[in-house]
Amino acid sequence: MWVGLTVGLGVYVLFGVAPAIGNLAVSFTDYSGLAGSTTHFTGFVNYTAMATTERPGFVGALGATVVFVVGVTLLQNAVGLILAHRLVGNTRGAALMRLLVFLPVVLGVTIVGLIWILIFNPQAGPAAGFLGLFGASSAFFGSSGAAMPLVILVQSWQNVGFSALVFIGGLRAINPEVYEAAAIDGIRPWRRLTSITFPLLAPSVTVNVLLAVVGSFTTYNLIYVLTDGQNGTNTLGMLAFTSAFGSSADLGYGAAVSVALFVLTLAVALPLLALLRRRERRLLV
Amino acid sequence: MAGALIVLLFLLPVLYVVMLAFESPAHFLRSPLIPPIASPRPGNFRSAWAQAGLGVELANTALYSILAAGLATVLALLIAFPVGRRLMRGAGLIYSSVAVGLFLPLAIIPLFVEARYLDLWNNRIGYIVLHVEPGIPLGVVLLTAAIASVPKELDEAAFMDGAGYLRYLWSVMVPLVRPGLLITFLYGLLGVWNDIIGPVVLLANPNLFPITRGIYQFYGANERERTLLAAAIVVASLPLVVLFAATQRQLIQATAVGAVKA
Repeated sequence: MWVGLTVGLGVYVLFGVAPAIGNLAVSFTDYSGLAGSTTHFTGFVNYTAMATTERPGFVGALGATVVFVVGVTLLQNAVGLILAHRLVGNTRGAALMRLLVFLPVVLGVTIVGLIWILIFNPQAGPAAGFLGLFGASSAFFGSSGAAMPLVILVQSWQNVGFSALVFIGGLRAINPEVYEAAAIDGIRPWRRLTSITFPLLAPSVTVNVLLAVVGSFTTYNLIYVLTDGQNGTNTLGMLAFTSAFGSSADLGYGAAVSVALFVLTLAVALPLLALLRRRERRLLV
Repeated sequence: MAGALIVLLFLLPVLYVVMLAFESPAHFLRSPLIPPIASPRPGNFRSAWAQAGLGVELANTALYSILAAGLATVLALLIAFPVGRRLMRGAGLIYSSVAVGLFLPLAIIPLFVEARYLDLWNNRIGYIVLHVEPGIPLGVVLLTAAIASVPKELDEAAFMDGAGYLRYLWSVMVPLVRPGLLITFLYGLLGVWNDIIGPVVLLANPNLFPITRGIYQFYGANERERTLLAAAIVVASLPLVVLFAATQRQLIQATAVGAVKA
């Protein structure tokens, strides 16, 4: 028993906890990972560099992150809720469509990203063809105006199936007697939605909003596939990655950006969680 | 009406790529949006398979994800059983410190540093070892709950019979918590299978590349060969579609019920 437990926890600590704390350690150095270079302790240099013009990009990345997080959270949850409402039923069609909307979750970011790169191919893709009908054109992921909205769209498309399933789980947990009582009282469908379904869905809203916020703050793998952080899509996660593994090979600065991102995520997620929990208690009494 | 819209939004992008995979480059240049019914080109798949090296990459991906997710599932069970049975003091503390792992950011930069120092960088064994941990927290959460619902009397009866610890886990516990093990394995598998940042940071030798980095590389190197890229995407998707078709009931069920509970 002890051997199994120790090995299991050992792997978790060594490759899960240690790297999470290790970001802090690396962020105080100028580690480059390049052969033959020495590493020095540099104190807070990487942190002060974020605010100065010496390392441009941090403030822009902060702005891009906020836009990305707000956009994805709103779009993914709004569409997820609509999908859940439509697909909660027990019919064969609903079951098939649940599979369909969950498929992008299974296919993963690389395949999903490449599918949308083909669709938004500026030369001969279907999106370009559609715009062409109106005499318009766009460089899509290559355009500074369109790239961020499209990245938000694809990120939401990839994960909305997961949100929808969580909402469906929440809808099914609602006691059908509540609806029967409402029907006897002659409550209209719209009132039923606003004063029964939505309040009773509060726990699923908490889970989904929180997962979307934390997820969109920290993930950058889809952005890496779609734009490589170009055209205004360089979020903080992307900036940390490119600082460390791009041509600058500055792992210390990348780690510092990761730490800043982690602090920012907590600073947003924890109050948000408290707020959503309070909302649950208010709505569920 | 709403159903049609959903199909349009989720099926059409996939169908478009499948259609593209059957087009010849000449057809693509002339009328890219019309299905190549008259002259489909199944040869695209053979070309993509050879040019993108999909065979080796799929084998790498299968090896990495099955082994890493399998190990994660075993380790999660080895943690979850004593914790779920409260066989030692501090079981609750162990549980919460592992569950927190669900929210720890995957710190790729320190992980890269660790990989360099521990000689786990740019080799198969290292890549698998580094991919075990992400599957553990979810597994511990799922399996602790599953184990807690198995009556304790079973343990006592088995140990009275003199069954060893591992033998008991294997022959009594594993069959009883099979759904939890399956979900742990599946989510672990999907995580490794679909990882793109890991292969970019932790591997450099093209012979070791999994399918994600393989097709992404192919896209970057052959910007103009859209039809071959589409064929490569279809080939890369097929194993996932088959896996999903085989396990969708459990996967969908667990996701819908599990998230709010957790």
